[in-house]
Amino acid sequence: MVKKLRFVKLISVARKARTVTRKYPFEGPLITEEFRGEVRLDPKKCIGCGACIIICPPNALTLHDEGDVRVIRYFVGRCIFCGMCAEVCPTNAITITKEFELATLATEQLLRDLVHERVKCRICGKPFLPAKLLKAANDDIPGSDNYIDVCPECRAKLGLKGILEHRMG
Amino acid sequence: MSTVNLSSALKALKRSVWVFHLNSGSCNGCDIEVLDALTPYFDVERFGIKLVASPRHADVVLFTGPITRETLPKVIRALRAMPRPRMVLAIGSCAVGGGIWHDSYSVIGGYPKLEEILKKEGVVIDKVVFVPGCPARPEAIIYGVLVLLGVVEPKSKREVYKVE
Amino acid sequence: MSEEEGNSGQVVKGSEEAIFLVENLLRKKLSELPVKIYRAAGDSIVVEVPRRYLRDAANAVHNDLDAYVRTCAGCDEREIRGIYAVYHILGLDNYGVNVIIKVAVPENDAKVPTIADIAPGADWCELEFRDLVGIDLTGRPTHRLVLPDDWPDGLHPLRRDVPYGVRPPPVKREEVSLIEIERPGIPVGPYHPALHEPEYFELYVEGETVIDVRYRGFHVHRGIEKLAESKLTYKQIPFIAERICGICGFCHSTCYVMAVEKAAGIEVPERADYIRAIVLEIERIHSHLLWLGVACHILGYDAGFMHTWRIREKIMALAEYLTGSRKTYGINIIGGVRKDINKEKVPKVLEVLDFVEKETKNLADVLLSVPEVKRRLTGTGKLYREEARKLSVVGPVARASGLYRDVRKDYPYLAYKHVSFKVPLYTEGDNLARTLVRVEELFESISIIRQLLDTMPGGDIRVEEYEIESGRVSVASVEAPRGEDVHFLITGEGRPYRWRVRAPTYQNIPALRAMLRDQQLADAPITIASIDPCFSCTDRLVIVEVSGGKVRRVRRINVVKVAGGKVW
Repeated sequence: MVKKLRFVKLISVARKARTVTRKYPFEGPLITEEFRGEVRLDPKKCIGCGACIIICPPNALTLHDEGDVRVIRYFVGRCIFCGMCAEVCPTNAITITKEFELATLATEQLLRDLVHERVKCRICGKPFLPAKLLKAANDDIPGSDNYIDVCPECRAKLGLKGILEHRMG
Repeated sequence: MSTVNLSSALKALKRSVWVFHLNSGSCNGCDIEVLDALTPYFDVERFGIKLVASPRHADVVLFTGPITRETLPKVIRALRAMPRPRMVLAIGSCAVGGGIWHDSYSVIGGYPKLEEILKKEGVVIDKVVFVPGCPARPEAIIYGVLVLLGVVEPKSKREVYKVE
Repeated sequence: MSEEEGNSGQVVKGSEEAIFLVENLLRKKLSELPVKIYRAAGDSIVVEVPRRYLRDAANAVHNDLDAYVRTCAGCDEREIRGIYAVYHILGLDNYGVNVIIKVAVPENDAKVPTIADIAPGADWCELEFRDLVGIDLTGRPTHRLVLPDDWPDGLHPLRRDVPYGVRPPPVKREEVSLIEIERPGIPVGPYHPALHEPEYFELYVEGETVIDVRYRGFHVHRGIEKLAESKLTYKQIPFIAERICGICGFCHSTCYVMAVEKAAGIEVPERADYIRAIVLEIERIHSHLLWLGVACHILGYDAGFMHTWRIREKIMALAEYLTGSRKTYGINIIGGVRKDINKEKVPKVLEVLDFVEKETKNLADVLLSVPEVKRRLTGTGKLYREEARKLSVVGPVARASGLYRDVRKDYPYLAYKHVSFKVPLYTEGDNLARTLVRVEELFESISIIRQLLDTMPGGDIRVEEYEIESGRVSVASVEAPRGEDVHFLITGEGRPYRWRVRAPTYQNIPALRAMLRDQQLADAPITIASIDPCFSCTDRLVIVEVSGGKVRRVRRINVVKVAGGKVW
């Protein structure tokens, strides 16, 4: 008879466990210090290079070159919270926060934009790249001051002109 | 056609909503977090929320998955079977934005794309709340339910920063 | 046991010696056929055979050499060699070596003979490459397996000239359900309180006894392989691999990076191997506790469900503490791992393991003594050893039916060679045996993690510089909680040329027909749950079961005929 009632031991299991409920939202959530939540892009440090956009697996970070600006758009809705963007950013402009309370009534509220002004080409006037990116690139490759504010097409033309002038004397 | 007064219906529902779990092709990550919300550590039954067996009994549909091509007609049928007011909680990065496969041949692309199709089919959804996450934590799902019931104002807002 | 197989007891599985022995065996067995045999990356041997000798080669390897079917893949190699290629991957468990039978199929005559009667385990993957690459099969009845019902004929997504985002307009087909026409049945799904994923079963009954099962799966087909071959790069694919399944995702991402590292010859630091093995075992514990809870719930014992998931919550919190996310950990990258398990974290891990071990021992004791649980699990859903062998089932399903198969022992990988653990084996093949296998594996996992933490070496956790050459072929496998997970990879420029994922449930669902034979209707849900089905792993490809015999031309559903012992 006693063996048949062995399952009644569940009562003692339950009593030992007691109440484990965490009364969220009145109590805090069960988050550890390693948790990866929403990422934050720092407008002071971002140079608009696009490394985060290349690595982002679900294309939550997208690049839009339109008009005079380059927009880096972060769509939290499609983010998979992997943190690879923070790993590849060359200027550490991306930090991983612990924010998970992201519910909204419309997907537009989940967009975060970073708007860079694009430098206009000295020769043809077309905008091409953000100023901070040009400066960062220039710092790494000294000696390109002649071409730093010239768009790629005009740069090619200038270079060709230089070669021809050099050949003709 | 319908005389649903959404705000009065919501007032009546502030206490205990009955939810139906609808998986439209997700990887199960968000689905086990939905089940996890029922277990002792999070215990949504203290809010009176319970899982029901049929969309006909449901107030809210917990929607996960990016909607695959194969499940599309079945999802539309299941949503049409809900009585008004119909409320949907789109959980996870797949349901909110299509996820990591938003442009694949076999995937419709998440709840926003489904909304256009539902309009054409004549299925009206009265309120939608989007809960990002991959997978969405049980606490995030509970927060989403509170936003849906109007108890909490959503924190996330559109942000535009100009870089100097 | 022949002389050659007698030798296998002494050789170290997966070693150069084993590969050498297998190569000699193959040359001897296939000496009559015009084959080309050569090594691929890692522990694989490729056997190139002309189309008309495929069945002979498959017969020799599968039946004479006692190999198990692992998977098969079709590949569009028209831009390289002007042909389609079919790869049948078989595994010799005794040696720990993979044998890849490669067949070239000309573009204008895209047909290949079936091997599904020789090796029934290859049934579904053949239909898969017929759907996705468009290589037709001769010698067997065929039907659509993977693609959605409203997909047009003639459009094969895995062909290189089809873009990954193609959205053809839907095609209407007649839906014929045998329930209205022929016999009484019960449709279950796609949305049903007992199911967590969309899948569709029709159970045909006579009184309370189930005599037929019709299964229409593949609702979760998302086109992952196509995305990996056309849009994503090598670095991004571990993240999509992790989301093939939300429960065993880390196994898929580990298997993928192992396949790439094998193909490219990347040496991963030993510490990364240990960390990957520890997280894999943590995933196994979480998955088995999850299954135990779901099984209790299906049997109506909700108290068991709540308590097992209460214990499991500690594992989820531990996983977040170690990797940064409760699920879909995202720590695997090619060349190592992103997060370390340093000394400060070890006491917490040991504390959680002690808690889980103590609580699970108490709880399992109680659960298996509940009268309704015990009676409903014993003797139901029997799967006999011969059928299990024929269908090449994997994981706890195989181990409960007397097949001693475990990838951690047969094709050793990561840090498992450095630890000692037992693999539970039962012979009854019923639901109770499958339950006991999983409970015992849980305790073995706890012991494995403790051993790994003890002996973990120092050093780096990732390799930064590596190069991946195109055109290398490799096979990697991992013991997921549900069984053996196999990835087949051909490297390309910047992304894989062909990536084939075969999840464990894919191989186990065909065994359902044998298990549901003559069962009571009430036992059907627990039997289906006892193989621990993960349809989202399965459906990244679609599986449809087809049965032979008298079949009306129905489009959507496959009738699984279960008739006294016959598998086909």
